[in-house]
Order: sequence, then C-alpha cells, then structure tokens
Amino acid sequence: MGSELVVLIGGFVIGFYMAWNIGANDVANSMASAVGARAITLRQAILIAGILNILGAALLGSHVTDTIRKGIVSPEVLSDPDIALMGALSALLSASLWVSFSTWRSLPVSTTHSIVGSMVGFGIAMGGFSVINWPVLGAVVLSWVISPVFSLIIGFFLFKAILRFVLSGQDPFAVALRRSPWFIGIAVLVVVMSFLFKTPLGKDLSLSTPAAALISLAIAAAIGFAGRRLILWRLSDEQRLRLGAEAIFRRIQIGTSCYVALAQGANDVANAIGPLAVIYFLVKKGTLGSQVPVPFFLLVFGGAGIALGIAMGGPRVIRTVGSRITTLSNTRGFSVDFSAATTVLVASKLGLPVSTTHAAVGGVMGVGLARGFEAVNFGIILQIMLYWVLTVPVAALTCMGIFKFLCCVV
Amino acid sequence: MRIPFFSMFVSSPFDALQEHAEKAKECSWAFQQAMECYASPRCHTFDEHRQEVIRFEHEADEIKRRIRGHLPKGVMLPIEKFQLFRYLREQDAVVDAVQESLKWLSFRSDAGIPETVEKELFLLVDAVIEPIEGLANMVEEARKYFKSFSEKQRRKVKDIIRSIRQMEHDADQREHALIEKVFAAESDCVSVFYFVRLAETIGSIADHAENTADMMRAMLAK
Repeated sequence: MGSELVVLIGGFVIGFYMAWNIGANDVANSMASAVGARAITLRQAILIAGILNILGAALLGSHVTDTIRKGIVSPEVLSDPDIALMGALSALLSASLWVSFSTWRSLPVSTTHSIVGSMVGFGIAMGGFSVINWPVLGAVVLSWVISPVFSLIIGFFLFKAILRFVLSGQDPFAVALRRSPWFIGIAVLVVVMSFLFKTPLGKDLSLSTPAAALISLAIAAAIGFAGRRLILWRLSDEQRLRLGAEAIFRRIQIGTSCYVALAQGANDVANAIGPLAVIYFLVKKGTLGSQVPVPFFLLVFGGAGIALGIAMGGPRVIRTVGSRITTLSNTRGFSVDFSAATTVLVASKLGLPVSTTHAAVGGVMGVGLARGFEAVNFGIILQIMLYWVLTVPVAALTCMGIFKFLCCVV
Repeated sequence: MRIPFFSMFVSSPFDALQEHAEKAKECSWAFQQAMECYASPRCHTFDEHRQEVIRFEHEADEIKRRIRGHLPKGVMLPIEKFQLFRYLREQDAVVDAVQESLKWLSFRSDAGIPETVEKELFLLVDAVIEPIEGLANMVEEARKYFKSFSEKQRRKVKDIIRSIRQMEHDADQREHALIEKVFAAESDCVSVFYFVRLAETIGSIADHAENTADMMRAMLAK
C-alpha cells in the first residue's frame, strides 16, 4: 500500500502541474482577444477565466472518463492493476514533460494532443500495437481536423452575417443593439443545452428531449433580452459615437470570453484529471472497469489547478500577446471567441478530445477568410500542423520510455 | 512565448500605407517651399529644401520596403496582396515624381523663373499639391471602410477618389496653360525645352496621384 500511496501522491502532484500548465498556456486563447480589443482589463480577465474554468470543469467536465480516453487502448491490458497504475502515472508524467518542454522552447503544441499521445505510448508499451484501437484513435485524430474546420465555418459565416446585417447598414449601432439578443441567446443556448443533456445534474432533472430543448430556448431568450438591457447599462454617448456597433460588441465580448473560459474548463480538465482518476480509482478499488467515474472533487481539483495556472502565468501571456493584436476589433474578437467556444463545447459533449488552441485558430482563419482582418498570417497554419503531428509520437515515445523505466525500477 | 493563436496576427500594412501617404504629403509641402525659394531671388535655401525632399523620398522608400518585406506568404488581407503592391507602387511614384521635378529644376540653378511664366507655374504647383493631400485623407477613410465594410463609408472614399480625379484634370489644364505660355513668351529654345519638360514633370505628379486613386478604386471594388 505504501508504494501505491506514493503513486497516488505523485499522480496528484503531476496532475495538478498538468492543469497548471493548461491554465498558464491556454488562457490566452480565451482571454487575450477580449483584453486586446479592450473589452475587459487584464485583472478582470484573470478573475473571470479562473472562476469560469473551475465552474466549467466542475459542472460541465466529463464525470465519467472512459479508461484511457475513449477506449483508444483496449481494456484487457489494464487487467493487472499494478501495471495500469504505472501506465497512468507514466502517461501523466510524459504529457507534463512534453508540455513543459514545449512551453520552454515556445513550441505551439496542444495539451490535449500530448495526453492522447501519451495514452497511445502507454498502450503500446504494455501490449504492443495490437492493443491500440486504431479506428477509435483515427476518429480522435479526425476530430482534430474537423474541429478547426468546424470553427472556421462558424467564424466565417458569423462574421459575414455581422458584416451583412450589422456593419454595412445605415445605423450599425442601432442594428447591433436590436440583434444583440440573438448573439447572446445562441451562446446561452449552447451552454444550457450541454448542461442539461450531458451532466449528472441535467440527468437528475430527467427532462425529456423536447422539454429540455424548450427550457433551453426559454432561458436563452430570457438571458438574451436581459443582456440587451445590460449592454446599455452605463454606456456613455461618447463611447456610442466613437465606437458605434463596436461598443455593443465590446460588451457582448465580455460574455463570449466567459463562454470560452467555460468551454475550456469543460474540455481541458480531462487532460489533467483523466489519468489521475484512473490512479485514484485503482488505489481505492484495486481494479478497473472500462469506465472510471470521476469524483466531483477531482474535477474541482483540476479546475483549481487551471485557475492557479491562469493567475500565475496568465498576466505575462496576455500582456505579451494582447498588445500585439491591435487589429482585433470587438466584432472580430466576438466572432473568433464564439466559434471557438461553440466548437469546443460541442466536441467535448460528443466526447471528442479536441484542442482549444486549434479551435481558436480555426475561428481566426474563418474571420480572416471573410476578409475581417487587416492582416492575418495563414502561413503559420503549416507550422502549427507540424507540431500537432509531432506531438503524438513524441509524447508516445516519452511515455513508453518512462513506463519501461518505472517497470525496471519497481 | 509563442502562442499559435497570436502568431497568426502580423502587423497591419495599412498603418504603414497611411504613414507612406503622410510622408508624400510632407514631401509635397517641402517641394512647394523649394519651388517658391527657387523663384525668389532673396531665398538661398533651395538646396536645403531639395535635400529635405530627398530625405522624405528615402523615408517613403523605406516604408515601402518595410510593407513589402513584412507580408509573408499566406497573409490574408481584406484585399488582394498584389493590389496593395500596385497601389503602393503608384503612391511611391508620386514621391519620386516630386523629387524628379526638383532634380530637373536644379539642372539650371542660376536661371530663376521668368516673370512671364511665374504665375502659371505656381498655379500648376498648387494644383499638383492638392491631390497629394487628398491621398492621405483617402487612405484614412479607406481604412475605416475595410474595418466596417459599410456602404456609407465606401461612398465617402469613392467621393474622395472622384475629387482627386477632378484635381488631376485641373492640374492638366494648368500644365497646358503653362506650356502655351512658355511657347508664347520664350524665344530661347533651351529655355523652352527646359520649361516644357519642367511642366510635364510637375504635371506627372498629379498623374501618379490619380493613378493611386484609381488603384484604390480597384481595391474598393466588390
């Protein structure tokens, strides 16, 4: 039991460190556009991102983690609890190492992809290539291609719609205000629906699908119209004249930043907590099923790790990048935030581990293709894709190495 | 720290485009001073004004190179990249033409301007300065259009373009008037050649300004 306790403590430490990394690096995706477009201050961003990441992780995060991420590795290899324990620890460790290394070397990698890569490495080390469920892995990889494209499409059409219906009109301010319940309402709808359909709390309410949809619509409409009133709250005439429709979107962007932070918490917490849940479960129960329930406190623990990462690493990241994106006005920032958050939330609810970074990049591309930016560099996509392809094998190899090492030592 | 989301944003070429237009405006003012100094027997600072124009031209060139050098492959702008380069080439040609006019003037540094053509010459000089001043305004308003894509703003830019065209037309008239006057008043063929060429060179400033405006019109096309 002594060594298991050591593993458990090690798991908690590394899991927390992983969550910290997610917070420190990925917070820029959700908050820097709002800070850069001057919708919120740096302090507000850190506070909002911290709180909403915890909320997203605890309330919308996966309460059941399928062993090793959606059955990428077949459950038979996990029959020996000692080996499984070792494997989960090495996966967590190798993912953290790769994420730390890439943070140090400024490589654009995804925490999600590192953990999936590590899981694959762990599977191969334990049972060879045959234990990897290739179709499932293929589906996960496919979701990495689909998610930026999905986000791109939303971003493109959303921005085109803003151009067509709001900006090009005679009085953009009035139109933006009139249509603001729509923009707010759709975001609220996605959040409420994912809340009602997939979380234990939603299941406890045991609503039928039409009833849930109706309730979501009602809540979305109510918040949409209330949001319109809030937008006008303390909006000076000076701002109204100087910024026009952008003033409206500046207010809405506060909401969309929250939306991104919430989606991020829901999606990313599993990266840090998934393997930790496996370790926790093994130590407590001694065996492992094909699914592992994730205790609520672990989700909160992961969310807290992300929040701490945001508080410590966030200001530096946001300050460095927030000043660089002067071309990101509020309408653009809104479109990017909205498409990224919707993609991540929908994907996370479908159980697909996607990268928030790539969803955000997809959103920027969408708005860029709609000619929304004065200058946006698409050349960088190739570079991002290169690291994204590299991440999986590197994390897998590292994990295999650590696993073999641990097996020799213990 | 490099974050993929933000490495997508490169500095906007529109900032530099506006800076370039402002430089052209300052250059045209220095040109006007140089012309006035050349015509006045009491003024001995023609060379300094000319050096100022040369300096502005160098600075404008630097801005041009900066724009061209900082748009990596795969950059997405609200307009086609080659359109932007064509526009920039014409806007830069305005500054080059200003410099060229002073260079031609300086080849006969001691001749001065005969009173007979002085009035027409300065009418022409004033007429070519106006469209350059219009360019800076045009870039500023066009930038607003590329942000909002509002029809109202587009009309505003189109109006400026139209007025620049009109200014070029006026400058043409002045150029013709000057050439006519030169033929009527001067009998020395060296002087005639000198002033006709001067009129054409100065006139070409307005031509390039009009071309610049036309390029902008192409960028505005839906």
